[in-house]
Amino acid sequence: MATIAYQTASCLYEGAANPAVDRLTLEVDDGEFIVLVGPSGSGKSTALRMLAGLEDIDEGNITINGKDMVGVPSKDRDIAMVFQNYALYPSMTVAENMGFALKMRGVPAGERRRQVEQAAELLDLSDFLDRKPAKLSGGQRQRVAMGRAIVREPQVFCMDEPLSNLDAKLRVQTRTQIAALQRRLGTTTVYVTHDQVEAMTMGDRVAVLKDGKLQQFAAPTELYDAPVNAFVAGFIGSPAMNLVPALVTSEGVQLGESTLPLERDRLAALHRQELSSVTVGLRPEQLEVVPAGQGIDVRIDLVEELGSESYVHAHLVDDRGGASTRLVARSHRRAPGRLGETIGLRHGAGSVHVFHPDTGARIDGEEMSARVGTGV
Amino acid sequence: MTKHSTLSRAEGWRRRAPLLPALLFTILVTQVPFLLTVYYSTHSWNLVRPGSWEFVGLQNYLYVFRDSQFREVAMNTVILIVGTVLISALLGLGLALLLNRSFRGRGVVRTLLITPFLITPVAGALLWKTAMFDPVFGIVNFVLQPFGVGNFAWVSQFPLATVMVDLIWRWTPFMMLLILAGLQSMPEDVLEAGRVDGAGPIALFRELTLPHLRRFIELGVVLGAIYLVNTFGAIYMMTSGGPGVESANLPFYIYQRAFLGFEVGQAAAMGVVTVAATIVIAMLALRLIFKSFMGAQEAA
Ligand SMILES: Nc1ncnc2c1ncn2[C@@H]1O[C@H](COP(=O)(O)OP(=O)(O)OP(=O)(O)O)[C@@H](O)[C@H]1O
Ligand SMILES: [Mg+2]
Repeated sequence: MATIAYQTASCLYEGAANPAVDRLTLEVDDGEFIVLVGPSGSGKSTALRMLAGLEDIDEGNITINGKDMVGVPSKDRDIAMVFQNYALYPSMTVAENMGFALKMRGVPAGERRRQVEQAAELLDLSDFLDRKPAKLSGGQRQRVAMGRAIVREPQVFCMDEPLSNLDAKLRVQTRTQIAALQRRLGTTTVYVTHDQVEAMTMGDRVAVLKDGKLQQFAAPTELYDAPVNAFVAGFIGSPAMNLVPALVTSEGVQLGESTLPLERDRLAALHRQELSSVTVGLRPEQLEVVPAGQGIDVRIDLVEELGSESYVHAHLVDDRGGASTRLVARSHRRAPGRLGETIGLRHGAGSVHVFHPDTGARIDGEEMSARVGTGV
Repeated sequence: MTKHSTLSRAEGWRRRAPLLPALLFTILVTQVPFLLTVYYSTHSWNLVRPGSWEFVGLQNYLYVFRDSQFREVAMNTVILIVGTVLISALLGLGLALLLNRSFRGRGVVRTLLITPFLITPVAGALLWKTAMFDPVFGIVNFVLQPFGVGNFAWVSQFPLATVMVDLIWRWTPFMMLLILAGLQSMPEDVLEAGRVDGAGPIALFRELTLPHLRRFIELGVVLGAIYLVNTFGAIYMMTSGGPGVESANLPFYIYQRAFLGFEVGQAAAMGVVTVAATIVIAMLALRLIFKSFMGAQEAA
């Protein structure tokens, strides 16, 4: 049981121009499952490895249960880590792998065996205890890596993309198992992934990183509903949110021929910042497919049929911002249109997101900004 | 189908044809002499006694097994091989561990450490005998002078040991290179997992690094032993097997018997015994290596 706090913690690799993790500040509550997510190279692994003691904390500090971790070696932090490639000990059997940390702690062999068998039961590994890792399937290895972590009953679990080597189906299955296991054990967990679906479904809270900097740290639904900037908006959600440049008019913002109305206080905020154009964010499910002429007219580039729903990729017909303005809309109907056909898209439920055209920062009216506490 | 296979048989011979000269040559220079040796070993034949050619059956072998010098020499051979291989593997392990961390000038140090392996064995032996161990102007005595060591004659006092020093000096770099290759193929994340699991440096080495290095050390030991069986130059240069046969090994003793004593029949019998013993030991050793390299040690 532990709380974790990153306090403006930075890590600068030797020879690198910019820190891999840049003044990261995060507070993790006891028993919480938090997910670090971001594109490749955003510093997720580095942030995790700093917590595990595998990278130096060059600036700031990290505390576990209020205890400063700067200079504390990994072995004294009481952290268990699950590695992307599992890093099982090749010369040891599954049982020895799982019991290694206990052995290092001086737990007698009988007691060790008992705890390993208990964990193996939980993970359905009882039949493999005497095998070497090389003779296991990918999924079984993954479970051994999990087993090695839970046998220890550590203060903190660190997991670095533990599912990325599994096939899609197994990944979904294991995802729910890990989440359930964590709830049951109640161990504070920091989980790294680049897969935003994993982030959304597993985390109590999700921290979005980009270039080593924290963008937003909030519950998944809040990330989805109120992204603090265009980057988070585009990163969270699949297919990604439509982010299109639009002109500011007196009633709202203009997309193609039509105008999307904005509330008065948001308009006021735009005028206060003297912006003539903004980046507008619309989730695919906020766009309804309607007959041409009844909304924003677009031409279909591609229709993705998923069975239960379909995604229409299209571009604006009458495009003032250049020919590249593309939109994706979700439709509950099958085959809402054919390739090359012109259809209309209408803004349906939920308010549009408005971002600053240069900085990408979210622009809210007074009322909204008071309600949405940003995580940064 | 049959037509196809006959065709491919002809094709197979056509493809093998260019290799045949090499095969014939190998048979000519290894198998034919061996058969001749076996043949000689059943005869009593001394080159300096004309007309001594006589079939004696297995008498030469009986003589070999009764010869106490042969037994002493066989023992010397074992000590030489086992001692050299073990000590150089240990030293090689230590040096490899040092070289596996990064420091300034690592490339230069590595090259310097490898050089003994590149020096001609005869030159190396001469160097040890004269430059290092010479009683009057050797470096060893010079260095040990402050500790009260005078003109000590290392080579004649400890003949086998000094030969071993030369061999260890030459074989340590070989072991070091092999073990270094092993160390560098050690997966980093496994060590990190060990650290997170609470292992200190010594436990990491004992529980993770050493098991990983095992096959590399085994390979070094077996290859080293195979080469060391026929050590000749070092003994010839440093001690000539003496005093007596105190520092002779089997190849050297056989050489003495054949070319200094001209006892061709007896020398041939010793050669056959040596080859047979070497083949048995080499086969066991090679099987050991193949087992540990093929054995599914590697986890993905
Ligand atoms: N050992 C290293 N030495 C120097 N730079 C490094 C090292 N490891 C990572 N980096 C750099 O630090 C940055 C962050 O790397 P990190 O591995 O934390 O990214 P990540 O978010 O985990 O990416 P991915 O999703 O691809 O695993 C990258 O720009 C990377 O190039
Ligand atoms: Mg990573």
